[in-house]
Amino acid sequence: MIDAILLILESPFIQRAIIGALMIAVVASTSGSFLVFRGLSFMTAGVAHAALGGAALGLFLQASGIAPWFDPMLGALIFAVFVALVTGYAGETGIGEKMEVAVGVSFALSMSLAVFLMYYIPPVQVPSIWGYLVGDLLLLDNLDIVMLSGTALLLLITTILFNKEFIYVSVDMEGSTAHGLNARAYHYLMLITSALAIALATKAVGAILVYAILVAPAAASNELLSSVRGVLVAVFFIALISQFAGIALSLSVRTSPSAVAGILAALSYVIALQIKKMRDRVHIDEELEELLKMDANEAQHVHTESHAHDHEH
Amino acid sequence: MSAPLIEAENLAVRYPDGEIALHHVSFKVESPTFMAIIGPNGSGKSTLLKTILGLMKPMRGHVNLMGYDSEKEHSKIRRLVRYVPQRDRIGLNVPMKVKDVVLMGRLLKKPLPRLASEKDEMIARNALVHVAMEDYWERPFPELSGGQRQRVLVARALAGEGQVLMLDEPLAGTDMESQELIVEALDQYHRDNDVSVIMVTHDLNPIHTLVRDVLMLKNTVVGVGTPCDVMDPALVQKLYGPTAKIVEHSGHRYCLTRDTGADRHD
Ligand SMILES: Nc1ncnc2c1ncn2[C@@H]1O[C@H](COP(=O)(O)OP(=O)(O)OP(=O)(O)O)[C@@H](O)[C@H]1O
Ligand SMILES: [Mg+2]
Repeated sequence: MIDAILLILESPFIQRAIIGALMIAVVASTSGSFLVFRGLSFMTAGVAHAALGGAALGLFLQASGIAPWFDPMLGALIFAVFVALVTGYAGETGIGEKMEVAVGVSFALSMSLAVFLMYYIPPVQVPSIWGYLVGDLLLLDNLDIVMLSGTALLLLITTILFNKEFIYVSVDMEGSTAHGLNARAYHYLMLITSALAIALATKAVGAILVYAILVAPAAASNELLSSVRGVLVAVFFIALISQFAGIALSLSVRTSPSAVAGILAALSYVIALQIKKMRDRVHIDEELEELLKMDANEAQHVHTESHAHDHEH
Repeated sequence: MSAPLIEAENLAVRYPDGEIALHHVSFKVESPTFMAIIGPNGSGKSTLLKTILGLMKPMRGHVNLMGYDSEKEHSKIRRLVRYVPQRDRIGLNVPMKVKDVVLMGRLLKKPLPRLASEKDEMIARNALVHVAMEDYWERPFPELSGGQRQRVLVARALAGEGQVLMLDEPLAGTDMESQELIVEALDQYHRDNDVSVIMVTHDLNPIHTLVRDVLMLKNTVVGVGTPCDVMDPALVQKLYGPTAKIVEHSGHRYCLTRDTGADRHD
């Protein structure tokens, strides 16, 4: 049994998958959490699809001989940053809804461009554009790992250094600026590093997994936990466990580990909502019990107090 | 003799989409003071605060805070000011605790990595005592009621440092009890610490015995002076329309509009 596990772990595919899963978990716990805090979970989808448009542009420039040096990945990163900049510009006043619209528009623009360029790319190369959306944990190559680890580390360091600033910008951009913080710089730093990480993660493990794993665990943890640190840690573990489960399952059954991990991550949100519901119910029972225990005199006192409380709502 | 708190000269401000929010605004208020800015919805109260803080640029004229120009010297202004924006500008998606929000007022003005010292915590706790929210230290901020959140935000300003407190509608969505608490906390703080308080509000009545200066705005200056000066039938009608009246009660003048008491923000 142990021999079998060791044998599996010696396989370079599995090793890369495990490192990849770790790095994706880091991206989810940093980028994913902060995008959910900002009400910008949709940006994940926007960036991933914009990256597709950028990759198409790269392939077009290479295939047409206009710029043979233009790697499709470079196009993907440039377009991802473009979405981050447009979103950031719309959100400079700190309003979430405007940013969602900006994501939608820049995403549509990049996708349209991708489809437009596909007409001019040799048909044999078209599938490799879609390849940017459907990577898989077991298909990672060494370059993927290097790039992914690089951005994951970059994200980790910026988040460790600037987590307070990112939080302040998310909560109160106007007030932060008024207190002398260069809120705009942190605002863009947060969006651009996230966009880079999302684009590379998409190339590495596929869009489905990236959406699921960047959004669902963060949303789930944000429902249940009431501290930023708690959310970041929980997201890391939910992301990691879902991916490891996906990899493990794919070793015994013929299945895509990314898809399994995506399903598990998405389920975490559903489960979180259930737990929250149950917790609220227990909470109410306890409170009612407490009220019952008070004697008549005190009960009256509580009544007036809870009345004043109602008034505030 | 210290510089005036605010000095505006022929100030005009417009939003990028072309709307002129303020025009021909000229007035002067000496410091230290407890000042109220009143006016109906859309009258440019928030815009004036944002312009003073250098968050928006004047299209014409200029405005100074404590002698510093809002455009050229906004970094000096931002060191002096503790600002609380209107409540709807505060994001509720971040799982912050009450203590984090209050400490934010202090940590924003610290250099990186902005760690809270014991002194910071003590001051933050003390600020919460002033708004009767000390029992909520560890509670999640987004789960508080609107009025409680407003009180915590006031505590954030009280806990900070800087000569000028600027609060945009700290009384919005609060009941009478909270209003009194907030206004008294601000007034006491103003007296004890020699700081100026600038507060935007819809309803002058709960505060007019405490404030020293009142600025009436309706996209331009309608009136400026002491509460008694501006409690003038002609002025309040200009501000709130022909149904506004002044009544006198136990030596004070109160303004009656059709919807006094009801808060228009919730
Ligand atoms: N972000 C914005 N973009 C464009 N116009 C704006 C913006 N914010 C405010 N305005 C306009 O500027 C004018 C003044 O708005 P402001 O927010 O300063 O009013 P206010 O007195 O604070 O109102 P309220 O009591 O509702 O808070 C209004 O006519 C409003 O429509
Ligand atoms: Mg306003």
